Amino acid sequence: MSGERLGRREFLKNAGLAGIAVGAAGITGAGFQVRSAKAAEKRSVPKTPIRLAAISFLTGAAAAPFGIPADNAYKLCAEKINSEGGILGRKIDLQSFDEAGGGDSQVKLARKLILEDKVDAVLGYISSGNCKAVLPLSDELGGLIIAYDCGTHELLEEEKSPFKFPKYELGFRSSAHLGIDNIGLALFIEEHFKGVKKIAGINPDYAWGRESWLIFEKAIKQLIPGVEVVNTLWPKLFTTDYTAHISALIGSGAEIIHSALWGGDAVTFSKQAIGMGLFNKAKMAYSRGEPYPQEVGMEFPEGQIICCAGTHYFLYPEHDKWPLNKWFVESYHKKYGKYPTYPCYHAYQAIYTYKAAVEKAGSLLGGWPTQEEIAKAASGLSIETPSGILTIGADHNGREDVLVGISKKVSGHAFPILDPEMMAIYPAHQVNAPAGIRTEDWIAGWKA
Amino acid sequence: MGNWLVYILNGLYFASFLFLTSLGLSIILGVMGILNLAHGSLFALGAFVSAWLIGTLTGLPPGIAFLVALLAAMLVAGLMGILIETSIIRPMYTRALEYQLLITFGTLLVIEDLIKMIWGGTAYYASKPFTIMGNMHFLTNQYPVYFLFVIAVSFLAGIAIWLIMGKTRVGIMLRAISMDRDMARAMGIRIGRLNTLAFGMGAALAGLAGALIVPTTPALLGIGMEPLIIAFIVVVLGGLGSLKGALIGSLIVGEIRSFGIVLFPEVELPLLFTIAVLILVVKPEGLFGSK
Amino acid sequence: MEATNIIKRPKSYIYPAVFILLIVLPKVLPTYQLLLIQSGITFAIMCLGFNLLLRYTGLLSFGHGALFAAGAYSVAMMGKYLPSLYRVEILIPAAICVSILVSALFGFICVRHTRIFFSILALALSMVLYALLVKLYNFTGGSDGIRVPIPWMFGIAPTGVRRMAFLTGNYHYFLVCIFALATLVMSAIVNSPFGRALQSIRDNEVRAEMIGIRVRRYRWYAFIVSGIFTGIGGAMWSFVNGHVTPESAEWVFSGEIVYMTLLGGFTVFEGPIVGAVLFTYLKLYAVSLTQYWMLIIGATLIVIVRLLPDGITGAILKLFAAMKRERNKGAS
Repeated sequence: MSGERLGRREFLKNAGLAGIAVGAAGITGAGFQVRSAKAAEKRSVPKTPIRLAAISFLTGAAAAPFGIPADNAYKLCAEKINSEGGILGRKIDLQSFDEAGGGDSQVKLARKLILEDKVDAVLGYISSGNCKAVLPLSDELGGLIIAYDCGTHELLEEEKSPFKFPKYELGFRSSAHLGIDNIGLALFIEEHFKGVKKIAGINPDYAWGRESWLIFEKAIKQLIPGVEVVNTLWPKLFTTDYTAHISALIGSGAEIIHSALWGGDAVTFSKQAIGMGLFNKAKMAYSRGEPYPQEVGMEFPEGQIICCAGTHYFLYPEHDKWPLNKWFVESYHKKYGKYPTYPCYHAYQAIYTYKAAVEKAGSLLGGWPTQEEIAKAASGLSIETPSGILTIGADHNGREDVLVGISKKVSGHAFPILDPEMMAIYPAHQVNAPAGIRTEDWIAGWKA
Repeated sequence: MGNWLVYILNGLYFASFLFLTSLGLSIILGVMGILNLAHGSLFALGAFVSAWLIGTLTGLPPGIAFLVALLAAMLVAGLMGILIETSIIRPMYTRALEYQLLITFGTLLVIEDLIKMIWGGTAYYASKPFTIMGNMHFLTNQYPVYFLFVIAVSFLAGIAIWLIMGKTRVGIMLRAISMDRDMARAMGIRIGRLNTLAFGMGAALAGLAGALIVPTTPALLGIGMEPLIIAFIVVVLGGLGSLKGALIGSLIVGEIRSFGIVLFPEVELPLLFTIAVLILVVKPEGLFGSK
Repeated sequence: MEATNIIKRPKSYIYPAVFILLIVLPKVLPTYQLLLIQSGITFAIMCLGFNLLLRYTGLLSFGHGALFAAGAYSVAMMGKYLPSLYRVEILIPAAICVSILVSALFGFICVRHTRIFFSILALALSMVLYALLVKLYNFTGGSDGIRVPIPWMFGIAPTGVRRMAFLTGNYHYFLVCIFALATLVMSAIVNSPFGRALQSIRDNEVRAEMIGIRVRRYRWYAFIVSGIFTGIGGAMWSFVNGHVTPESAEWVFSGEIVYMTLLGGFTVFEGPIVGAVLFTYLKLYAVSLTQYWMLIIGATLIVIVRLLPDGITGAILKLFAAMKRERNKGAS
């Protein structure tokens, strides 16, 4: 527990300072000049707790691998913040809600939270569909919404490059989009499997799967020009029988198969594929495969390419070099008996982005900031997280490095981990499009 | 060559679940004239009971544990079916169709939440039987033995039902009811008890299907929704209430899906529904239905 | 049997009173409550259409969600592909045309059957539409659906207008007027010779055929009229919700349509309206009250079917009738 002894408050204060220094560019916006004029007025900090709504899947297929771990992490972080005095002295009153029920129910819930319950911020959404349905409500209803885990790159991009940003004044995503996973996978394949000739894809049939494949296909064709796509399959979400898909993949002769299947689907597919011998013939490349080895256990095959939705891995950054990860992993494991998976790290990012933005705006204004002021402060912010540095771009989208590795059975672990010898980190600028440029257009402009 | 055999097996495997599910649905529909929307939830109940038992009975040899899980799933689903029939559906036989449909819809919602209450909202993994049975090889292909096991169980269940319906007194009475309810009553058949029996039998079959699926995929909330809808399609296709129809319908749907995904991956699901509708336009009573 | 109305001559005072109440709502209700009511009203338009089939034609459709989705997607797709025509005064007629097409096709197949066969066919057809909406990702947005922007309305541009301002402003009055119109038109339909012909078919098909009513043709017309109302409901709802997804074509939503109608009471003309609004609240409060909301909804449904077969309005009518008898007894 040396992480505790280091003094987390100190650590965070430094992180906060670093954040303000790095994010200075963001504050110079016109909005802040107006605000600082107003700051002369006496501002007070309300005595009531901050009401944050955390929305993740608490039931259904996405609950066990994503929703419940993320919700646990929200609670862990809120307790930590409260035990250290809250945000500008206000304690966090965190309420968890279930993301299940589809886009329409989530629109209804968000409306209720913002209009009726008047929460300070909504931190939520694992599903890309829900993000797309709910994030526009931020400006419509005048409430701060931070999307924390969903991957769709369309969320904050517009139809044509260059586009005007931010898309929503009050809508954010405190993590990078699926571009980093799929570009990362393509870079990794180029680095280690340069000779690949035939690739295929099996992706769930909705925005998440379609866009993951789109980006991966564009990137890999740029990096390995001669590569041929031999099959693309689009099974429905929660398919229970992949036999026909697996046969089609075996028949296609693909060497590497890209997949954004997640949760139970990824596990079901993997197991049926093991049985039908797919892994004797091809390698899988899972765009956000980080949680499944832990979920499946020792049956999870070795040698599969796995991306971590950023650098979110319980063994990276190394604990002795980055005490924040040590603290996060150890306190999470102590409390919940498992290692944090990437959605946990995303939850940390969401709640601490909110905290850092409020503190930045608050220190400039000398009191509790409005929703708009918090949004202004969040834009351009950089914070330290257990996985490294997170930057919120001027387009209100997060930017992160990305970690790609290969599953390997290592003694001392109850499930395959990423082979420490073969981990690759691609820095944020190499996998994120600049603000205002669509990811596809950015990839198309890469020089071979 | 080997590939084509695998495609056919894949179709048979998918058809096995469909057959078990639609057989139950069809018996209930034929004997009682009730379309049981809660049928998918009985499938889910079987899945959860079995997944939970496979995970709990780690002390027993895996083969025995799996057998216990299968039987327990059938028993629980069957008892739940009997409970539903006697407490909720029985007073509805004389009521209009919309009430019957709605009450099974209400039952579906209640069972889904009961499952959530008992097992929580998360996924249950129980892949042990699948892993332990291993794989077999033929030509250049590899195929899990468990899939063949499912096909065999479903085949045996079909034969058992065929024997019950065709050779036993109870079965003959059930068929009499499904042909002409009033006539059967006039002949002195005690319809009440037989209804309960038919419902319990149909429910147990759904439970068995659910129990068989969990070694290959985790038990999740809502796992019964898709089997319910596809079983509808099968029942409509095969002819309402016809057992032969359930068999042929399942085979058609299973093989269309299997070959559809390989040959036309973009249109698997709509293809299925469209073919069902086309058949109905041409032959409205279904393949083996009677007007 | 004639259509039963809540009270003897409701149109003379209850209807205007409700209309005025709805018109002043934005002034008195908080935005959030108003949105709920609006959602309820769009469902009410849909249920009016649904009940034409159930109550007056004797056909239970378990696939009406598809017709609702037809209306909602017409709006969303025009927003996506024909932005220049994205005006309410064009969108609503367009939604009506699409609803006519879809319901004419569905109806043509379904009305060859009655009873449970009709219900299952309607369900199967709605699932075809559902599967297409999910599968044709590049065209329909797949299971994520499509966002519905704010439309032009009678020459007023949507630029710079926030959705809440739009919904609580002009759109609300437009919605209330459409709702009033739909109620009056439906009331006229069920009391027209056409409506009476439908009821005679429902009561006795053979006799209706003998007095010269073309049974199947009339059922088909009824299906189309029902589809138009349902489609209008879907189109009006899409603006309120701001987003359409294939969920509305899925059979579970079709089940909810039946639920709403029976909750309100399908034997009373106004029953479906009451049911639609009540259901919106019931579901929302069940969801926010407990994670076991399906249990609440399901159990309520079972209780209603068992104890209140005529729904809420039916029960209230019975209560009124009983009180009246009581009073008469006391007087005599």
